[in-house]
Amino acid sequence: MAQNISPEQSGAGGSSKHSDDSLPVKDNHAVSKRLHKELMNLMMANEKGISAFPDGENIFKWVGTIAGPINTVYASQTYRLSLDFPNSYPYAAPVVKFLTPCFHPNVDLQGAICLDILKDKWSALYDVRTILLSIQSLLGEPNNESPLNAQAAMMWNDQKEYKKYLDAFYEKHKDT
Amino acid sequence: MGDFSVVWSELLKIFPILNGEIVYPLQEIEKEVFEDVYRHLNSLGSVETFTAILDLEVESTVRNILAPKLWKQLASDAEPKEKSDQVMTIAEITAKDGLFSKFIDAVNELYDGYRCLLEMKPRLIRLNKNAASSSDVENIKSTLRNALLARLPPTFNSFISDFYSVHYGLFTKDSILSSTTIDSEVFTELPCPGCNYDHDQCCCQQLTEMVNSTNLKLLEMGLIDRLAGSALTILIKLKIKEHINDTCLGIFDRSHLKQLETWINDVVMTWLTSIFTEWRSGDDINNEQIPESVQAFKVKLTYFMYETFAQNVISQFFSIIIDYPDSTPAIEDLKICMEKIDMRVHLTESLRSALEARILHPGVNTMDILTGYVAAIKAIRHLDNTGVILEIVTAPIKDYLRKRNDTVRRVVTGLTEEGPTDLSEELAKGELIKDGKDAGLNEFSNWENWEPDPFGIDPDVLQMNNSKIIRSADIISMVVDIYGSKELFMVEYRNLMADRLLSQLDFNSEKEIRNLELLKIRFGESLLHSCEVMLKDVTDSKRINAHIHGDGNINESTLFDITSLIISAQFWPSFNKESLQLPEELENEFKKFTKAYESYKGNRTLNWRTVTGRVNIVIEIGERVMEMTVPPTQAVIIYHFQHKSVWTLDELSSLIKVPPSALRRRISFWQNHGLITETEPGVFSLLEEESEKIEFEEMNITDADEEDLESAMASASDQREEELQVFWSYIVGMLTNLDSMPIDRIHQMLKLFASNGGGVEFTQDELKHFLQRKVREHKLLFSGGVYQLAK
Repeated sequence: MAQNISPEQSGAGGSSKHSDDSLPVKDNHAVSKRLHKELMNLMMANEKGISAFPDGENIFKWVGTIAGPINTVYASQTYRLSLDFPNSYPYAAPVVKFLTPCFHPNVDLQGAICLDILKDKWSALYDVRTILLSIQSLLGEPNNESPLNAQAAMMWNDQKEYKKYLDAFYEKHKDT
Repeated sequence: MGDFSVVWSELLKIFPILNGEIVYPLQEIEKEVFEDVYRHLNSLGSVETFTAILDLEVESTVRNILAPKLWKQLASDAEPKEKSDQVMTIAEITAKDGLFSKFIDAVNELYDGYRCLLEMKPRLIRLNKNAASSSDVENIKSTLRNALLARLPPTFNSFISDFYSVHYGLFTKDSILSSTTIDSEVFTELPCPGCNYDHDQCCCQQLTEMVNSTNLKLLEMGLIDRLAGSALTILIKLKIKEHINDTCLGIFDRSHLKQLETWINDVVMTWLTSIFTEWRSGDDINNEQIPESVQAFKVKLTYFMYETFAQNVISQFFSIIIDYPDSTPAIEDLKICMEKIDMRVHLTESLRSALEARILHPGVNTMDILTGYVAAIKAIRHLDNTGVILEIVTAPIKDYLRKRNDTVRRVVTGLTEEGPTDLSEELAKGELIKDGKDAGLNEFSNWENWEPDPFGIDPDVLQMNNSKIIRSADIISMVVDIYGSKELFMVEYRNLMADRLLSQLDFNSEKEIRNLELLKIRFGESLLHSCEVMLKDVTDSKRINAHIHGDGNINESTLFDITSLIISAQFWPSFNKESLQLPEELENEFKKFTKAYESYKGNRTLNWRTVTGRVNIVIEIGERVMEMTVPPTQAVIIYHFQHKSVWTLDELSSLIKVPPSALRRRISFWQNHGLITETEPGVFSLLEEESEKIEFEEMNITDADEEDLESAMASASDQREEELQVFWSYIVGMLTNLDSMPIDRIHQMLKLFASNGGGVEFTQDELKHFLQRKVREHKLLFSGGVYQLAK
């Protein structure tokens, strides 16, 4: 692949991992500008249940908060996430992880999330707000086809039992 | 044995103190007697012993007889004197039974004893040529001093000060006489300033002699310095204070220091010298004659004089500030004093409390506070050009002004109109506002002129405001600095200007332009760009109006003339959100105008703001004809009454799209004019009867004026509120995700992420107020120094 790859091409293309390293860093300013703008939109939209803010002075590292969607087993829980934006953002997806332990078919015990838009389906049109909304809806509608947490995927069918297990899980992880 | 008693009696004759007697003057003794006694003593071999005995006797006489006697005499009615006695007139003091004469008598007696003892020594030497010089005059003096000091009664100081105040009064009599300008006739009726007796029985001469001789005696005994020193110091300090109060109080328009220094030199020092030497009035003072102790004393006294004077000035500093610049000499004086004495802390504290007591309370007009603030800036800057004192002293004023909501408006008014604050003059000086970069450069290139910060100020305060830039800023920046942001001022200026432009259609454009240019020099073009556009809009509007009216087509078909003020929406401050629906006939006229404008200006159009403006109307009702100029809303209201004479509030409100409450207020204008009446609640009808004319006469036009004063603009504080709302969502955002944060971190985050492009300034103080408000509203929790969202 050429060194000076056009961002549009790489964004549309599949291997986002490679483009991440090859993009020139001089775009740094444009990226932080975009992130500033996203932050402003997010703050102004003031959407219920999702929120995010830079974690410290570095605008490339954010902390997000989502509330468990209502009418699901996750209701009344709040989850912290970390969002790491690469220098090539928005042409490469940010790395999003759960900070709060989350028992979910598509989330592993380290907090890594299996979500297509964060991997191969990423597009520059997504932003922090849509990422957080996607993750929020993922909580209620897991993709049991490709589970990261097999136990959760198996238990998912029995929602009552699942809820019980979940409550015990949070009781256990209360301190963390 | 017989021989011995003869010798003893002879000895007693020579040295009467051996018998406990103190006689002065002593009897003369023939030479033969000395020789006789000497021979006898010699033959007994006890000359040495006798010399020792005599020395001991002298000492014990001093200790056991002289000193107790003096104290007993003075203490005989030494009931502690009350303070009020300090102001006792001299006549009272000199009264026969007064302390004064008692003191003189006691001193006289002491002196006699002292002389008697002094005589002993030469006699001993005459007796015994070999007598050692162990007990010389100094020895007796110091024994006397020791004996006296050992039993010093507490009341003694008051004797001394009484005595010396008489002395001082007599001494300064001449200088008082020469300085008083009362003509001689009146003067003779006043008591003599020296002795306080009437002139025909003035006893100054006699008193002076008494006093001088007593003083000389004390001097000879070497007692003045040790015994009277402290009392004298107190007395002199008192006199200096009195003198400063007499001569300097409330007079700021000339310098006093020189005069005071001469006074210290001429009056106080000569007086002191006269006490400590045998100098008599009339002699010239010769520097060599002045004893060293007096010289040293002079330094102390001069220092004290400066200190007292400085305190005097400081206590009146508020008046000095108000009188500035007439009070410049007083400030110059204080400046000299401050160089010699460190009074900064005293100055700042006393000034701060004076300012707080005098101007920082609700009873004072904002304008007056501003005037005081400006005067304080000028006066203190004159005193201390580093600006440190200024900053500390004016901090409470700034805080206070920040709390008043009309401050910005007043300052802007002050800047643009003639007023007591002289702000417009300052502006006219046209100095460029110092911005950070320039000042920083100066500091380095100008390092030779660098001065350390003045000492004696709390270093924390200094560190807090370490930027020299602010401290050296000029008056206007100091005033603008009240809010910490010139943007806010410019916004308010813009609003005021918009108001002026909209309310007075025949405004004085020349003055506005001049002001604008001056402000531009000071605050930079970018901030005032929109103001410039506003002014241009006004002139452009005139041109466009002229052009449209010049177009024949329009003129023929219109019902009335429209003169428009066309403003560029982007550059004017936001309007308040009132609305008004025009009647169809009128609206059509406006549409015609819009069309004419569109054809003239190509692809631009007009959005009419119907609430603002003027309408010239003629009302014919019954037999009455009224011609008046009213705001559009009033005109529309009365217009609707043309066709229908009874309206309910709701009907009218929905027709012209004005909320009922506002509409009621507007209608009251016509009620005052006697044209409309509220027949029943919420129903208004037209009055056509002329009988209501009386009411019309009585009506008060001020109501209409009040309407005019209502600002068409959203005020600066409203706009600020909106900005704060933006910040609030950021704060909620960061606290949701980062749990709890201390204020400085919140502030830093806001600066990093929220002041995006808007250039909005937000001080930590402001943030603190804001957050505290949110805490009060239970939106936030504050504990342990960090803020949290309330659950």
